[in-house]
Amino acid sequence: MYAVLPDPACEGVLPSRSVAAVPCSVPIPLRPVMVLWLCFALACAARRPADPTPPPTPEPTADAKPELADEPTATPSSDAPAVLLRGGRVMTATGVIYERGDVLLREGKVEAVGASVDTPTDVTVLDVTGKTVTPGIIDTHSHLGVYASPGLNAHSDGNEAVAPTTPQVISADGYWPQDPQIDRARAGGVTTMLILPGSANLIGGRAVVVRTTPNIRGVEDARFELAPYGIKMACGENPKRVYGDKGGPQTRMGNMAGFRAAFQRAVEYRRTWQAYAAKVKDGSDDEDLSPPTRDFGLETLMGVLDGDILVHTHCYRADDMINIMALAEDYGFKIRSFHHAVEAYKIADRLEAHGSSASVWADWWGFKAEAYDGVRENAAMLSAAGVRAVIHSDSPHGIQRLNQEAAKAMHAGRRAGIDISEDEALRWITANPAWTLGVDQHTGTLEAGKLADVVVWSGNPFSVYAKAERVYLSGTLIFDRNDPKTQPHTDFESGFRTKGAH
Amino acid sequence: MVRLLTTLLFGLTAALSSVDADAAPLSFESAKAKAGARVAIVGGTVHDGVGGVIENAVVEMDGARIVRVGTGTPSAGATVVDAKGQWVTPGFIAASTPLGLVEIDMEGSTRDTGRNTDPVRANYDAALAVNASSSLLGVQMIDGITSAAVTPQGGLISGQVAWIDLLPEHHVDIVARRRVAVAGSLGQTYGGSRAAALARLAEVLDDARFYRSRKAAYDRRASRDLAAHRLDLEALGPVLGREVPLVLSAHRASDLLAIVELAKTQKLRVVIAGGAQAWKVADVLAEAKVPVIVQPSSNLPGGFDRLGARMDGAALLHAAGVSVGIAVMGEAHNVRNVSQEAGIAVAYGLPAEVALSAVTSTLAEAYGMGADYGVLRAGAVANVVLWPGDPFELSNVPSAVYIRGEAQTLRSRQTELRDRYLDLDRFQ
Repeated sequence: MYAVLPDPACEGVLPSRSVAAVPCSVPIPLRPVMVLWLCFALACAARRPADPTPPPTPEPTADAKPELADEPTATPSSDAPAVLLRGGRVMTATGVIYERGDVLLREGKVEAVGASVDTPTDVTVLDVTGKTVTPGIIDTHSHLGVYASPGLNAHSDGNEAVAPTTPQVISADGYWPQDPQIDRARAGGVTTMLILPGSANLIGGRAVVVRTTPNIRGVEDARFELAPYGIKMACGENPKRVYGDKGGPQTRMGNMAGFRAAFQRAVEYRRTWQAYAAKVKDGSDDEDLSPPTRDFGLETLMGVLDGDILVHTHCYRADDMINIMALAEDYGFKIRSFHHAVEAYKIADRLEAHGSSASVWADWWGFKAEAYDGVRENAAMLSAAGVRAVIHSDSPHGIQRLNQEAAKAMHAGRRAGIDISEDEALRWITANPAWTLGVDQHTGTLEAGKLADVVVWSGNPFSVYAKAERVYLSGTLIFDRNDPKTQPHTDFESGFRTKGAH
Repeated sequence: MVRLLTTLLFGLTAALSSVDADAAPLSFESAKAKAGARVAIVGGTVHDGVGGVIENAVVEMDGARIVRVGTGTPSAGATVVDAKGQWVTPGFIAASTPLGLVEIDMEGSTRDTGRNTDPVRANYDAALAVNASSSLLGVQMIDGITSAAVTPQGGLISGQVAWIDLLPEHHVDIVARRRVAVAGSLGQTYGGSRAAALARLAEVLDDARFYRSRKAAYDRRASRDLAAHRLDLEALGPVLGREVPLVLSAHRASDLLAIVELAKTQKLRVVIAGGAQAWKVADVLAEAKVPVIVQPSSNLPGGFDRLGARMDGAALLHAAGVSVGIAVMGEAHNVRNVSQEAGIAVAYGLPAEVALSAVTSTLAEAYGMGADYGVLRAGAVANVVLWPGDPFELSNVPSAVYIRGEAQTLRSRQTELRDRYLDLDRFQ
């Protein structure tokens, strides 16, 4: 029906989009480890994961921040040797660019940034004159690992498209650590990414923040333990297309009704736990007192109501986003980021008022009706309105050059008379995505105390000719373009390639 | 009178230099076509699309054709366009794209990208479906794309490629030439196996030849069964006669070698589109003079037939002597990003002037349109773009676009939407 396009890996009908037209997934039983994660995420102290004391359930507040993100930084220790990157153009993504500056990385963190940093005696100095130093790139929208390459039927692990609401599933469970796409993303300077379920479902499941740690054997080796969970929601065409002839939703009306039903159930579920908690607290003498039946999906939605789980909503049309913001406000939570948000520029003021970021492409458009009104100035117009703009990929190709995508959007904005600085455009792929994932206190800028997630570019990263030459993750050199030994490749590609060329 | 004579003279020159001696005249150059205003683009640096660079150049257009590329002073009477500090290039070409055949990919009612019956659709003529009102045309044009090889999709043999100039609302003559190539796809596009697809393709070509010499017998039902509908077989005639190329989408080295073999045995002109593993058999492709159109950013092993896809594939092919074209493959909405693709190829080792050729003259030649397109040369169609600098850099979009000698208004549906929302105060 459709022609073979460059990379039909992920999404069935149209490549590089996050919905499967003919989704085929097999339900996976809950594993103990997931129970532990849930427990961890909800900060519960149960000895027996299957029978926990419920989490505290405060009334939702407008700006409830994820609990984990508020905790003091528990930075992973690092054995990486300290290094001083000397003399490069240092773009900090904090509003400051040092045309010639130094960055000191030690014990996994950025220790100092400035025009000139004193060189401790025990530190390797690397002259990066003529090169550009930036924070590691962060992608708020990726399906690496869950829609791996090659795009085999067996690799379709991103859409649990058996019911329109599946908040009980977790993207991490589908993440294939041997996906060769991860290597390519790392070579593009990416250090952190949000791995989301696809958009077949209204509520697709939990999204997990992972690092581009090399040589991992399981997803836990790469999970960003400081990050809160996200949840994937999808409005508009995809759910109604996938479920239109499978019992619905069949319309945008059905979509919204589905969201309301799900969150109403979550409110009621929370009520049962609150009642139980009250009884426990009051020292009930009921010997038969036992906790309510645990539902992992509703527990996820309860995490949304409580502000512990950040909401990532795939949404294209302005009116769809307005409806979703109204729903969120009715239920007392926030949309952390609208993803794709092709029409975000039409409602930049309302996104700013809601406090949502917008994760957009530089220039994808037209592949479906709700993407028909795309403009290249989207990110710039959002920035101008005070919205945290993000350039995301949703693509195993785009993730390799988010710097170029940001450049296109920056220049389009400038041509339209919007003054977008290089620092602002860099924030689209570093600081703003860090905030979107709830990890901005740990990464996303070059500041003393943050994780040493750093990229050394061959030149200005907004040039089509620039390449990431060195990528540091928590201070560890995880990619060096000039040293094949630090260009890890997956099991999958072992023995196939005759020459490396990312 | 002088102008008319000049125009006729250059028209004649163009015709004589044509690769396809019997190709029909371009649609917009009917007998009544008259010379237009003479325009001289002066002072820019010409990158002519075939490797030449001329500083402080003069490019003169008369009507739809370029009449002079060189240095010196512009002709008297010509309208002078100052291009000081600008790059002047041929308009970029979008190859292997359904541009003009589709408005919204997922809405079937807006999509005429191919026939959905039979694997052999050689008579599906993209020219009949090109929509001059498509909003996609302006979006690409303002980024410097001036022509496209509009390519049908699907099946084993998808149909006839139409060559268009990106002139929104030129309903009468947007298609410059119909049936410039036949497009198809190998891999598992027939019978569930790549071997079945190749066997079927060979059989269809044989039967096209068979049918050509036995039409009368066929019409009186004195012929054996044929491998495809008679009209589809007939539509392959120009391929058999080497008048037009067969452009085959394929990735795996084995398929690419099979294409080379097919071209040899059936005496065809072939072009490969895709070619993820082409670098592995580059010497064979170079020897057989088979051009390969690649998308440099496609570096993922998206399928087992694409293991080894790499961003320096274009550079490796060029180094081996293969003629390399660059395209944003198989999609329509963002073929404008072919300039970014060319930049990526350069970043990964393709010489810059070769990359420019790869989005201009090499593509025009691959589709048999090299005499008229893809080059700044007297006699070529006046598709000329002015850029403030390196056209591959992400900072640069055209400052002026001429198509068939006409200066284009650099507006699109997207710029209209942008302007509509630059000030939100007008809305509720």
